[in-house]
Amino acid sequence: MKLQFKLALYNTLTKIAIITVLGILILVSINHISINHIQNRLLQKKIRLIANLSNVEINDLLLQKTFTDYNLLREEYIILKEIKKTDHPIKQKFLRELRSIEGNQEEFQILITDFNYEGKSYRLELGETMSTLAQLEHTISMFTFGILIAAVILTLIIDLSFMQFLLGPFYQIIDQKLNKVNDPINFNYHPVKTSTDDFKILDQSISVLMNKIATLFLTEKEFIANVSHELLTPISILNTRLENLLNDEQLSPEGENKLFACLKTLNRLKAIINSLLLISKVENHQYGKTDTISVKHTVEEVHEELEHRLLMMKLKMHINLTEDYSFTGNKSLFHTLLMNLINNAIKYNKPSGSVDIYSESSVEGYTLVIADTGRGMNPKLVQNAFIRFEKLQSEKEDSHGLGLAIVRSIAAFHEIKIDITSEKGQGTQVRIVFPN
Amino acid sequence: MNILIVEDEKTLGLEIAEFLGKEGYTIEHAWKKSSAEEKIFVNTYDFILLDLSLPGGDGFELLHQLKKMPGREDAVIILTARGDVDDRIKGLEAGADDYLPKPFSLTELLARMHAIIRRKHKLVMNEVNVHGFTLDIKNHKVSFDGERINLTNKEFEIFNYLILSKNRVISRVNLTEHVWGDILEVNSDSNFVDVHVKNLRKKLAAHATIDWFETVRSIGYRINF
Repeated sequence: MKLQFKLALYNTLTKIAIITVLGILILVSINHISINHIQNRLLQKKIRLIANLSNVEINDLLLQKTFTDYNLLREEYIILKEIKKTDHPIKQKFLRELRSIEGNQEEFQILITDFNYEGKSYRLELGETMSTLAQLEHTISMFTFGILIAAVILTLIIDLSFMQFLLGPFYQIIDQKLNKVNDPINFNYHPVKTSTDDFKILDQSISVLMNKIATLFLTEKEFIANVSHELLTPISILNTRLENLLNDEQLSPEGENKLFACLKTLNRLKAIINSLLLISKVENHQYGKTDTISVKHTVEEVHEELEHRLLMMKLKMHINLTEDYSFTGNKSLFHTLLMNLINNAIKYNKPSGSVDIYSESSVEGYTLVIADTGRGMNPKLVQNAFIRFEKLQSEKEDSHGLGLAIVRSIAAFHEIKIDITSEKGQGTQVRIVFPN
Repeated sequence: MNILIVEDEKTLGLEIAEFLGKEGYTIEHAWKKSSAEEKIFVNTYDFILLDLSLPGGDGFELLHQLKKMPGREDAVIILTARGDVDDRIKGLEAGADDYLPKPFSLTELLARMHAIIRRKHKLVMNEVNVHGFTLDIKNHKVSFDGERINLTNKEFEIFNYLILSKNRVISRVNLTEHVWGDILEVNSDSNFVDVHVKNLRKKLAAHATIDWFETVRSIGYRINF
């Protein structure tokens, strides 16, 4: 998850938590405050009533006998009852109960109090409806909630846009200096514009590292060039000198044999150097990747070139590529890759065996399978297959163990995945998975 | 035919000269860029064998200078051990006739030179006679007593290369490299070339005895005439 979204998520979550707490707090306190308020009002009413009490009024009230109201909306009521003198008169008590007034049942806040008037004891019950209070509470809470939500959304938007502005240079660094770089030679050393010190340091560090890598790259490139010149020139001299010696008419057959053996060894040395140079050049990205390559076409080309080997080994090759796949890469390198793999399938096959080449479409992508009926390898050999100078079938003296190392570097260069499955005595399957 | 060998490695230059001298070519040497420049200004050559890394400058500069001179027909073969991937393309684009990476076989060099001679100078004989067999090099045809022998392209190339290197043993590796090119790992085991030689010999033997077409045990092949 991107840093920007993580921060936004964090902000949202904390804000939601704060709102929830605040909302609950406000609701509780509103409830509290309003009940307090009603109780105060009831008390004041009681005081006013008792202060202005007269016999006429008491009789009026007593006559009602049941719940009654003295306002039109039935939001308040008053009841007065005469009671016997008790030892423990209720001084003042608040209740919250349901009362029915003319068939309308509602919740009331009720004040009950006993008092004496001209030698008689009375119990006064004053009630005020809670429904208005509930309405008020609802309105206030909705309003508060609305305001809080609006505040959250507003701050979230502001946060997001500010973070985008703040982290902009950071993403620019990641995008331009890390993601899009596969060649340190063509690295863009222009600093990204930012006033944040941390990003400046990050940018500078990447540039410094890239510079180091580029220097190493160039050194290695130079080294490769030197190695090829310094090693191949002496080989060249030896080669020509041996060939000239072979022209000597007085040369004995034995001498001739020895000279040819020398030439053969020299040739092996040349093959090793050229293979190592090829791997280095591929790994150093010294090859272009601009050709459009058809897998089917390349397989056919390689097949044509290796036909004589199939003939010699009396092998059958079945090519079944119902679907073709095209990609951009280096044509001659990919040719070398397939050449090495198919050649191995032939070289390590058994007489009158077969090589099957077919395509599959899997989840990972287009897959080319090269399956042979050869000697196969045990799991340990498969594991070491791609290691340089690891000879899988060492009895073949002409192998120098670099074929699969070349395959690996070319595959990595093209972002192609190669899987080998093999069973001793049964054959080997090489699966070449192309990127989607 | 005269050849200028531009090569700073003296031993190599002398070995090439020895080989080509026996083939009847006249050889001149230039060991560094400045002397090569002088020689190119004064003389014309049928072939210039050009090394790219020279003391005093790059072989490419020489090639460019030569190509700017009007009326020059000198064929240029670049011989180099330089590792740059695009050197080959660069060399051919600059007007070189061929490009041979070091180390190379001298017989291969000779074959390339013959190919250039045929391409450049139309006068050269395009037919070779070997023990009654006639090779039409231009059209890749072989006949015996006017009767056409059907050879595959590879068989023809093998036959042609062995004839060109007449009286010399050509190793399987050398033959493979000539016919299939430098294909890295693959070139190291070269016994498969035998299948083609076997087929070639069968086709030739149907017309005449071919005891001049020798198999040199564990090495390769030789055509004597």
